[in-house]
Amino acid sequence: MRLLRYTLFRFAQAIPVLLGITVILFLFINMTPGDPIRIMTAGQEVSESHLAYLEARYGLDRPIHVRYWDYLSGFFTGDLGRSIHYNRPVSEVMMARIGPTLLLVLSAFLFAVVTAIPLGILAAKRRNQPSDHISRIVALFGVSTPSFWIGIMLIIIFAVQLGWFPSAGLVMPWDAPSDAGLSGYFWHMVDVLHHLFLPMIALGTLQMATIMRVERTQMIDSLQGEYVKLARAYGVSERTILRKHAFQVAQLPVITLVGLGLSTALGGAVLTETVFNINGMGRLLIDSIQQKDYQVVMSVATILAVIFVIGVIITDIAYAYVDPRVTYGEGE
Amino acid sequence: MARPTTLSRRRLLATGAVVSGVAVAGCIGGDGDDDGSDGLVDPEEFQYDRSEPDDEEAARDSEIHYTQEQERAEDFDPIVSNDAYSFQVFTQVFDGLFEYDDGLGLTPKLATGEPDIENDGTRFIYEIVEDAEFSNGNPVTATDVEHSFIAPVLEQTENAPTYSVIESTEVVDERTLQVDLSEPFGPWQIMTQAVTVVSKEDRLSDVEAYDEAAPDTVEAAPDAVNEYVDSTYNDDPVGNTIGSGPFEFESFELNGPATLVRRDDYWGDPTPYLQRVTFEAAADPSSRVSQIQADDTDVISGIPDNTWPELDQDGIRRYMSQSPSYMYLAFNCTDEADTSSPEVRRAVCQSFSMQDFVETNASNTAQPITTPVPPITNEQWGFPMDEWNDEYYPEYDPDNAESLLNEHAPDDFNPTIICPAGIRADLAERVATRLDEIGYGAQVQVLDFGTLVDTYTSGNPDDYEMYLLGWTGGPDPDTYLYNLFHEDSAGLNQGHFYEGSDSFHENILAARETADQEERYDLYEPVLIEILEQLPALPAFTQHNSMASGTHVQDLHAHPDVATNPQLAREYGNVWVED
Repeated sequence: MRLLRYTLFRFAQAIPVLLGITVILFLFINMTPGDPIRIMTAGQEVSESHLAYLEARYGLDRPIHVRYWDYLSGFFTGDLGRSIHYNRPVSEVMMARIGPTLLLVLSAFLFAVVTAIPLGILAAKRRNQPSDHISRIVALFGVSTPSFWIGIMLIIIFAVQLGWFPSAGLVMPWDAPSDAGLSGYFWHMVDVLHHLFLPMIALGTLQMATIMRVERTQMIDSLQGEYVKLARAYGVSERTILRKHAFQVAQLPVITLVGLGLSTALGGAVLTETVFNINGMGRLLIDSIQQKDYQVVMSVATILAVIFVIGVIITDIAYAYVDPRVTYGEGE
Repeated sequence: MARPTTLSRRRLLATGAVVSGVAVAGCIGGDGDDDGSDGLVDPEEFQYDRSEPDDEEAARDSEIHYTQEQERAEDFDPIVSNDAYSFQVFTQVFDGLFEYDDGLGLTPKLATGEPDIENDGTRFIYEIVEDAEFSNGNPVTATDVEHSFIAPVLEQTENAPTYSVIESTEVVDERTLQVDLSEPFGPWQIMTQAVTVVSKEDRLSDVEAYDEAAPDTVEAAPDAVNEYVDSTYNDDPVGNTIGSGPFEFESFELNGPATLVRRDDYWGDPTPYLQRVTFEAAADPSSRVSQIQADDTDVISGIPDNTWPELDQDGIRRYMSQSPSYMYLAFNCTDEADTSSPEVRRAVCQSFSMQDFVETNASNTAQPITTPVPPITNEQWGFPMDEWNDEYYPEYDPDNAESLLNEHAPDDFNPTIICPAGIRADLAERVATRLDEIGYGAQVQVLDFGTLVDTYTSGNPDDYEMYLLGWTGGPDPDTYLYNLFHEDSAGLNQGHFYEGSDSFHENILAARETADQEERYDLYEPVLIEILEQLPALPAFTQHNSMASGTHVQDLHAHPDVATNPQLAREYGNVWVED
């Protein structure tokens, strides 16, 4: 019950944060130089009257506070407005883009967590042995190499030279033909993984390396703790010590890292999407900023902010759940 | 069969060492010498002969994946769309009244031939071919062509300015349309009669209501008529976007693949060999190159200059065509600007070598130009470019540049150059470096496009003395001269605010108000010479259209007009795939 109340409290706290984000975003976007109508009509013979008509059509002739209010009220009713560049509802444009980004980011995180934690534990357990050195070198490479460069190298080696994986694009799991059947769906999922593999590695390597370094350090600390020495003195097996005593304590910073790493991953997704030609939210955001497509920029940035805030809240809740020392706010 | 090109120099360039050398030369800006040698790739060498399949039946099973160089705005309604990359897709679905030949000349498609011209060049009477049909079996009529001409104006779409010169239209009979212009309009035939023809009945949700709401004259009435336009025509093209072209939509994914399938009942000639073509965009150049190298696509468009030699490898064929693109360096000519004096402008132009810049930065995909009318456009007009180049174009002469600046420029001459990122920023840096070498200098500001447009149209000398931009026109000089030099376009499409001689603006306007090409030539000639003498803008270079494909793709040809690439089923090329 206390956890539920804490969760609701954290979500309530997020509302003014998100409102503040939308105000700042809206002001910044509208204060930047550049007129979307002039960009749209660049390279054409246009008259002032035609420019004025287009401005009115997209509501850009109204005062900024009116436009903000329209945006906000529309956002809560699911109407995100109309894209100037695409001349379609923003929700339609975003729906086409959000799936690939979520698939990419979540799979990259899954790859990072699934590989980093065992490798971190292994490196800690075999400290200063060859496997530890290799893990540290891999981690150092991961944290010091940009994801887009990893992506380019993966493409050159595995797509261009070896031809093992496709160089571009994603296949969505939900895009299987309706009449595919079980076997068809299986091969469709193979195709999904085939396309996902390289971008997932490219985006997940940084997270994997970061988590692995922290996991290793925390596990080394844990394994040197007094309670571990006591357990050893009682004759508890190494496997049990590792699993029951050292592991859980070592995960607290990792949980924080995973939660906050979401923003890094979303940022990295922009470049990964570009290198692998994936039509995701990151590229949509960049293109829309260049086109000054206000409605799309606002909506994508707000959705990303919501995702990030939810990520932080989930991290806090997980932290509170795992670590009994964290209170549910009663003392605050 | 396609004519193979063997160019030993380019094969040599394919080695990494030489490529690196070129890149380094580009970075440091060359040595500044202009020895007159021409190390530029000639587009002619990457155009191929026609090829026909031995096995026609097999060729008719062909499918290709075409990777576009920019994302589409997904506008498939020709009345509304002004996006070259959407146009690349829907130009396969719709036929035009006329269409480009293998250059920028026009050839009839839905028209039976050239229009009859009456009333001093203000009345055009078009006859429509008899057997043309839309993909739903309805005949293409004069009513459809009329709607295609006037709907952009009625609905105030982005294409409205193109057709705003139309005063009235009259459907004489089912196959004859009369178009009356409000005044003679020089570029009319060459620029606008290639209108893409839509099916009025299928495009509108209620034809009668639309016609009733439309005013009697051809004028803007968007609030009255727009509600009768069927939104699915554009938004959901599969089954709704009806054209008379050789393909129709099979599937479409927003910002994803758009797949077209051949119409076996296509009325025109030739019928495509290709059964299916999928368009997908890859805006990142390296991604496109990787895709063609990894054989993940059949054709890519827009080859980056630095990868042109890299793609000279087995299994990949490169294509190139000149384009009507025009890159320029413009000067702020307002009285308060340091570049208001033509001597100062000439000095800046003589401080660096354009030929050297293009050779070191874009030798594979661009060529320097002499006038604001690119060479491919000039093919329709025949201005003496070489002669003007020798006589008027400012040649590289840093000593003269220095003495001109010493004499005419303020002591603290340090102009601001604004430009977008990319090759134009490289050129700006080159100019700044060369000015620095002769004792002056320049500040280069690389701006995003929106900021750049806001800034360069202000005319404020505190913000800029020079700007670098580009313009893609077509087969008529009017698109360049009116939009980039006439005073009506000042603050809209041009920011040099050049006042010009007494006849400068008059000639540009007079040339667009006459239909006689010889008369127009005579009007443009002094304008072009004045531009080269007074230099409100220095013509810089034109960038070529390029493509690359696997060698299994046959009879593909790069066209000068980027929006009509790829030409999949034309008299000049009918693409097929060899097993």
